[in-house]
Amino acid sequence: MAEVESPGQEGPNSTSGHPHRAGSPTSRAGGPPPIIELRGVGKVFFRGKEPVEVLSNLNLDVPEGSFEALMGPSGSGKSTLLNIIAGLDQPTTGTARVANEDITRMSDSQLANFRSRTMGFIFQAYNLLPVLTAVENVELPLLLVGLSSSERKKRAETALRIVGLDDRMDHYPRQLSGGQEQRVTIARAIVNDPTIIVADEPTGDLDRKSAEDILNLLERLNKEFKKTILMVTHDPAAAERASVIRRLNKGALE
Amino acid sequence: MNLFSVAAKNVRRNTGRTFFTVLGAAVAIITFVLLRTVLAAWNVGIEAAAKDRIGTRHKVSFVLDLPKKYIDDIRTVSGIKAATFANWFGAKDPKNPNAFFASMAVESKTFFDVYDEMKVDPAVYQKWLETKKGAIVGDVLAKQLGVKPGDRVTLSGTIYPGDWQFEVIGFYEATRKSVDRSQFIFHYDYLNDSVPPERRDRIGFVGSRIDDPTRSGDVSAAIDKKFDDNDVQTASMSEKAMGLSSMAMLSAILSALDIVSIVILLIMTLILGNTIAMGVRERTNEYGVLRAIGFRPRHIVAFILGEAVTIGILAGVVGLALAYPLVELGMGRFLEENMGAMFPYFRIEKTTMVAAVLLSVGLSVTASLIPAYQASKLKVTDALRRIA
Repeated sequence: MAEVESPGQEGPNSTSGHPHRAGSPTSRAGGPPPIIELRGVGKVFFRGKEPVEVLSNLNLDVPEGSFEALMGPSGSGKSTLLNIIAGLDQPTTGTARVANEDITRMSDSQLANFRSRTMGFIFQAYNLLPVLTAVENVELPLLLVGLSSSERKKRAETALRIVGLDDRMDHYPRQLSGGQEQRVTIARAIVNDPTIIVADEPTGDLDRKSAEDILNLLERLNKEFKKTILMVTHDPAAAERASVIRRLNKGALE
Repeated sequence: MNLFSVAAKNVRRNTGRTFFTVLGAAVAIITFVLLRTVLAAWNVGIEAAAKDRIGTRHKVSFVLDLPKKYIDDIRTVSGIKAATFANWFGAKDPKNPNAFFASMAVESKTFFDVYDEMKVDPAVYQKWLETKKGAIVGDVLAKQLGVKPGDRVTLSGTIYPGDWQFEVIGFYEATRKSVDRSQFIFHYDYLNDSVPPERRDRIGFVGSRIDDPTRSGDVSAAIDKKFDDNDVQTASMSEKAMGLSSMAMLSAILSALDIVSIVILLIMTLILGNTIAMGVRERTNEYGVLRAIGFRPRHIVAFILGEAVTIGILAGVVGLALAYPLVELGMGRFLEENMGAMFPYFRIEKTTMVAAVLLSVGLSVTASLIPAYQASKLKVTDALRRIA
C-alpha cells in the first residue's frame, strides 16, 4: 500500500505547516470508499528495444473527496501515474479501478467516454483554443454531451462564474493573463461536473499570486463541490495545500 | 457553436499563413478557370453547331477551292433543303494589319437563310442586295474598324491581293453565343467580277441545310459520291464534325492545356497539404487536450477536414471572385473584340464555376486526409507531450 503524508492538524488551508507522515490507507477503515484503486500497476516504455520501467508494482487508494498532491523528481513517473488514473494511458501490468470502473479493461472509445463523464483536466500550459472565447473554450467539452446550444452556454457561463471570470467570458485567451487562462482551464475541467479533477503542474507557469488564486480555487472545488483532486506538482508550497501528499520515486510510492 | 464552426474558426489562427494559402490556391483556381474557359471558348462553336447543317469542302484541304458549279449539283441531292456557298477572303484592316477577323464573300440571296443564326434587318438586307460593294458586319468588328452604316471602308486582301472598297450597309445580329460578332460579309459577285478570269467561279465551301438531321451522314456521303469521279473531290460532314476536324489541328494544344490544368491542381493540392500538415503539427498538443477531454479520433479528423473545407471554400470563392471580373470585364471582352474569330464567346461557364469550387474543396479535403489520419492515430499521451 502507498504511504501518505498529510498536513494533519493545520488543515488544508494552512501554508505554514509542514506535511508529516500519516497512517497507511488501512487506517482509514470506516472512511469514504476509495474512488481510485490501483493494484500492482506497472508501466514499461520501450526506448528503442530497451525496456524502461517507469512504474513498478504500485498500489494506491485515493478516497472520494480528497485533495492529493503527487510529488517527486523528474522522471519519477508522476505524469505516467496521473495519465493511467485519468484513463489517458493503460498500465502494462496491474489493474486500475476509477469511479467504480475497471479502466484497464476499456477500449479507446470507452476510455474517451469515461474521461468525458468522469474526469476534468487541468494542464500546466492551459491549452486553450486561441480562436475561441473563454466561454466557448469552456463550452467545448459539452459538444460531446448532446445539450442544446443555450443549455451549453448557460453551463459554461456558470462554470466561469464559479472560477470568478464572469467579466471575461467573451475574452480570447490572448486577452487574458496566465492566471485567468488557468481559471478558464479549470472552468473547462468542471463544466461537465466530473467526479475527479486531475491537475498536471497547474501552477507551474504562474507567478506566486496567481498560483495562490488557482490553489484557493482548487481547494474550493474540493471542499465546496466535493471534487476529488489529484495534483502533480514540483512546488512544495502548492503541495502543502493538498490534504494528502504522496511522493513518487523511481516508479514507486515512498 | 458546433464542431464545424470550431474547425472553421481555426483558419483565423494564423491569418498571414491562411491569407497566403488561400491566395496561392485562389491563383491556381483562377488559372484553372482561365484554361477551362479557353477550352470552352474553342469548343463553343462545335457545341452550338446546327445539327441540320452540313459543310462541303475540297477533299484535300479546306484551303483549296471548289468549282462554283458544284453548288448546283449539291442542291439536287436528296435531303438538301437549302444550300449556299462562300469564299474565305482574308481581309486586313490596313490601319491595323495584325488584327484578325473573318471576312467572306457569300452568295447573297441564300447565305443568311442557311446561316440563320445571323439575323439581318430586312430593310438593311434589301439595301445590301442592291449595293454591289455593300457589306454586312458584326457589331464587334464595326467597333474595331470604327465604322458605322453608310461609311466606306478600304480593306487589303490577302487571299485576293489588292485594296478593296466596301460600303458598310448594316450589322447582323448574333442569335447564338457561338456566332463570331466580328465577321465581314460581302457579295460573292463583287469578288468574282473583280478577280482575274482564272480565279473566277471558284468557291471555298458549301453549307447546306438538310431535312432530317439524323441523316446528315447519308446526305454527306451522297454529296461526296456525286463528285467521286471528278478531278476535284469533296469532303462533306456535319457542321460539328467539320468543327472537330478543324479543332484536330489544335488537339495537341488542347491536350497540353488539359495537362497544364491538372498540373496546376496538383500543385494546389500540394500547397494545401503542406499548409494543413504544418497546422496539424503545430496543434498536436491541442489535439491531445481535445482527446483527453473526451473527443474521439473521428472528431479530430472532423476538425481537420472542417478546416480544410473552409480553406477550400475560401480559395474557390476568392479564386472565382478574382477570375470573374478578369474574364467577364477584362480579358474576355478584349478577346471577343480582338480575337472574335477564335473566341467568339469568352465567358466563364456555370459548370466551370461549380467545378472550380468543388475541386477547390475536394482537393483541400484530399490534401488534409493524410495529416488528419496521422493526427487521429496519435496516442493521447504522446500528443500531450508533443511541443511543435
